[in-house]
Amino acid sequence: MDAALRLGAADEAIAVLRETTPFGDASEALLARIAGIARRARYAAGARLYDADGAADDIFVVVSGRAEHVFKPEVGAREALRRVTRGGVFGWAGLLLGQTQRLATVTAIEPTEVLRIDTEALVGLLESEPLEGGHVMERFATMIQREFTLPALLAQVRRLSGPLTEEMSSLSLTLYRLSLWLRSPRPYLMLVGFALFLGFWYLAVEVWKLPRFREMPGLTTVVREWLSPSPTYGLSLYIAEYYQHIAMSVWRVAQAFFLATVLGVPVGLLLGWSRTFKEYVFPVFETLRPIPILAWVPLAIVMFIATESAVVYLAFLASFFATALNTMLGVESIDESYVRAANCLGADRWQVFRHVITPGALPFIFTGLQISIGVSWFSLVAAEMVSGQYGLGYVIWTSYVMVRYPTIVIGMVTLGIVGYVTSALVRIAGDYLMEWRVRELALAER
Amino acid sequence: MTRGHIVIDDVVKVYDPQGAAVMAVDHCSLEIEPGEICMIVGPSGCGKTTLLNAIAGFHEITSGRIVMDGEVLCSPEKPRSTPGPDRIVVFQNGALFPWKTNLDNVIFGPVMQGKLARKEALDKGRAMLADAGLSGVEHNYPGEVSSGMRRRVEIVRALMNDPKALLLDEPYRALDSLTKSVMHEALLEIYYKNKVTIFFITHDLEEAIFLGHRVAIMTTRPCKPKKILNVDIPHPRDYSALTSKRFRELIEETNDAVHEEAWKAFQAGEKEGR
Repeated sequence: MDAALRLGAADEAIAVLRETTPFGDASEALLARIAGIARRARYAAGARLYDADGAADDIFVVVSGRAEHVFKPEVGAREALRRVTRGGVFGWAGLLLGQTQRLATVTAIEPTEVLRIDTEALVGLLESEPLEGGHVMERFATMIQREFTLPALLAQVRRLSGPLTEEMSSLSLTLYRLSLWLRSPRPYLMLVGFALFLGFWYLAVEVWKLPRFREMPGLTTVVREWLSPSPTYGLSLYIAEYYQHIAMSVWRVAQAFFLATVLGVPVGLLLGWSRTFKEYVFPVFETLRPIPILAWVPLAIVMFIATESAVVYLAFLASFFATALNTMLGVESIDESYVRAANCLGADRWQVFRHVITPGALPFIFTGLQISIGVSWFSLVAAEMVSGQYGLGYVIWTSYVMVRYPTIVIGMVTLGIVGYVTSALVRIAGDYLMEWRVRELALAER
Repeated sequence: MTRGHIVIDDVVKVYDPQGAAVMAVDHCSLEIEPGEICMIVGPSGCGKTTLLNAIAGFHEITSGRIVMDGEVLCSPEKPRSTPGPDRIVVFQNGALFPWKTNLDNVIFGPVMQGKLARKEALDKGRAMLADAGLSGVEHNYPGEVSSGMRRRVEIVRALMNDPKALLLDEPYRALDSLTKSVMHEALLEIYYKNKVTIFFITHDLEEAIFLGHRVAIMTTRPCKPKKILNVDIPHPRDYSALTSKRFRELIEETNDAVHEEAWKAFQAGEKEGR
């Protein structure tokens, strides 16, 4: 009876810890260990939990009731007063760098029940699980800054000592985040999605043999062909030609995308920035933009004697419009205050363009580039189908003409993968260039 | 001291969107003494920001003139003044560039004007941020610090240019009252060090009386001074002024005038946030 009661209490402690910011995504095992060192305490309404400047020994997690947490003025918190309810964590001053005293005074305003966790015991425990422990400490820092509005300078948490954390490399952190992701439901939902899709394909073609899919190559046929060292239709992972096709398409898209970016971004910036330029150019732009890329094929072939340049030109064209248009929208979306502020600070027109317009439009530019790389692939394949030798579009088309149906699907799947990789590269480049935005979004998350 | 003497002389601003002329500012005259904190109080949408925009050079005026330290900023011949680092605006929603770190924001003015080399500007910027108690956020982006801190960084960015006047357009409007009170004291502290003319727009009467040497209560659309109040509470002030008897008296003296304009604005269908 008594043991069962205690067991229930531990479960409840874990449940509360799970509702807190710092321990919210810790593993069950870690939570159980933390619950093991937590002590329960009750306070009547009006009772003082601790005073500012006292020794920062225990960390408090509210189980029920309500407490009022008031920083001493020197701390410089944006909001000095905070009411803490279930799942709230305070008394964390001992986790801060160079801090041994309480920063606030806490009073229960209702009958309040808390878990008390000894700071040093907790730190020891976290040090024994360096990767997860480091993550918990990071979450503490986030909570202290965001929920308790403490200046970033003060909200620096201690570094856990221990063999691993001394040199906690970004690789191990990445790996840890990966393991967190694997523990969340997201990857499994993704797998279920794929499984349903592939399962339907398999059943429809090979088991139910639906009339609509009579000519469709089945899942197993495609996979077998793709992985075969001597493929029936001549194209698989083991054949050099397969990679030549990929390389050719990637090279064409790279040229088209590069040209579209180099020309499209400046044109878009000018369109957004100069009213006169927009009045000259935009009507022409808006007339040409909706013309489908396929409609350009004959003209492209006439214009460019070499088929190669015709194909690149077509891929370029679509991407250019996407980039230029998004860049223009980006410039137009910039808050007028930024331009005015720059004017006040003595920036001339060119400086405004360079220091305000261009960086301000960057988020839109990168959205444009993501779209641009997508449509670049789209029109490339269309162009390769009509003219050209080599390339994934060419593979798909000739396989159709020559009745090699499994190869069509291999070409399509390859396109999907390569296209995804290129657009991920664009996204990574964007994150790298817009650190400010990444940080802002990271704070806005949660 | 003769810097930052602003004379607003019979200024009229008529908006004429589709032939339906709307008078935003009506023959408004107001003189702001050098080094004075002049508070402009009126309900939202009363036209007070139009006045600020005319001084800053964001809008043209229809008639009248604005003169600063003998230099005509705008007049019928030149209806729009040129924005410049002698009059710097601190915007309602803040206009620190989110893509520059706080320190890079602060040095923007002198570097753009070519007044300081980047290195010297960095030194000065660090010193001024430290002076305002903001050293810790030098390398953060504005999006990473609290809104109160952003406002302080923005004021430091303005002061880096040694302006004659600061034009503040309801800068603390979006802040919670606790942060606001801290910001008021921080602003006064900066003011006591720099003694720059401050033209401060607000709809908050308590804020106006707490900060200002004079408070101009404006009529609502068209906008012109209805009543000018001399705040005879001595500077330097701190938060104890808020509870002083004189402060309460001054509020009582002006509350009716402000309330009446707010009513008019309300009846005219003007909504908060315009």
